[in-house]
Amino acid sequence: MTNIGIALAVIGAACAALFAGIGSAKGVGLVGEAAAGVVSVDPSKFSKVLILQLLPGTQGLYGLLTAILMLSRVGIIGGTPADLTAAQGLMFLAASLPIAIVGLFSGIAQGRAAAAGVGITAKKPDHNGKGIIMAAMVETYAILALLISILLIYNISI
Amino acid sequence: MSNTNYASAVAAVKAMESSLLTQSELEQLINTSSAQERANLISSKRGTGNETLDLEAAWETVHSYAPESRELEILLYRNDFHNLKAALKAMVADRDPERYYIKPTNIDLPEFTKLIRAKEFDMLPDHLKETAAEAYELLTRTLDGQLADSMIDTASLAAMQKSAAEFGGDFMKRYADLMTVCADIKTAYRCSKMNKPRQFLETAVCGCGEMDKESMIRAALGGTESFLSYLETTAYSEAGKLLSESAAKFEKWSDDRVMELAETARLQAFGSDPLAAYYIAVEAEQKNLRIINICKESGADSETITERMRKLYV
Repeated sequence: MTNIGIALAVIGAACAALFAGIGSAKGVGLVGEAAAGVVSVDPSKFSKVLILQLLPGTQGLYGLLTAILMLSRVGIIGGTPADLTAAQGLMFLAASLPIAIVGLFSGIAQGRAAAAGVGITAKKPDHNGKGIIMAAMVETYAILALLISILLIYNISI
Repeated sequence: MSNTNYASAVAAVKAMESSLLTQSELEQLINTSSAQERANLISSKRGTGNETLDLEAAWETVHSYAPESRELEILLYRNDFHNLKAALKAMVADRDPERYYIKPTNIDLPEFTKLIRAKEFDMLPDHLKETAAEAYELLTRTLDGQLADSMIDTASLAAMQKSAAEFGGDFMKRYADLMTVCADIKTAYRCSKMNKPRQFLETAVCGCGEMDKESMIRAALGGTESFLSYLETTAYSEAGKLLSESAAKFEKWSDDRVMELAETARLQAFGSDPLAAYYIAVEAEQKNLRIINICKESGADSETITERMRKLYV
């Protein structure tokens, strides 16, 4: 059980990438469905709906970033894993939770908002920006969660 | 991820909505002087050379996006039951029913005709089988086409309500209720004018949660004044006033209420409600174009035509 600390940190990194990635996949998939519906009727709107489809993809990137930073901090990426106690490992696991949980739910919620925004683009292409802004508002909370996760990762003393 | 069904279909329908006529385009059509001018205006709007949005094509599109949605099929129940009337009457009169059929419909018409002719009513779709057998028996026993029609019309409303309650959402339940209320008000008013007996009213009035069948029948049996007084006590007092002015005004009021309901459905981002709303919008647009064409042919002035125009969706 000497490696329990590092194991918990790895689980934390995996959670960050996993849950935020699931959120993004679901969100991007949903917007993709809506976008495909519009493009099937009017292919000229492809570029406009593509921007909306990209929006829920950021949570997955935040999860990836968090996982890489965490693995780097605990020395896994460098090839020399730190000697972490169980308490330190748990702290790393806790540090991954903000982006893991918020990433999951905000990815799905942003997907819904962006899919509804696709409807605006479909009907009033000139108002495409409004749909993007409304979907982008959800991003705020993913960024806040990312910020907290990063602050925690860099402030856990090893 | 709940309630995100039909994301693709809803987005596609929203894109198609841009080809529906707007209020200003309708006004332009009203002010045209010839059928050719109207055709050109519509063609330039659609940009495809298509002068009209075909209702059958609109249904095919909506249905192809949500083929498993039994909820949407409720929109065609009126046509299905109309076709049942046509098939039964044609059978009794030994005529070909094909020319009396309305499309789009949920039923396979050639197969439907064969089944009706063979009196195999059990083989008909669920929402039609019982009514078909009862209507056939009634028609052959009484030879009263009007009574059979009333019975089928009432059964159509009851089937809409039953199916909406069974597999419909809130929008479809409200749609079924609204269609029932409008049809019942019109029928009960006519019956009160013609002093129809209670027996006929019981067959012709369907009733729903909002408008109790027994109360309507009692009011209608007391004559038109009694019926209009009854309507005053309900949420449909405006309908009563319009009905006493003219049937055309009441029809317009009914269609506008349906369109208002469709407007609430089109604001949804997911689900089958916006698909239903789009179909209702195409139906209303076709009705408006028909009214313009008929009024223009009969020499009506622009003001009269404008008064008759149904509410628009876009």
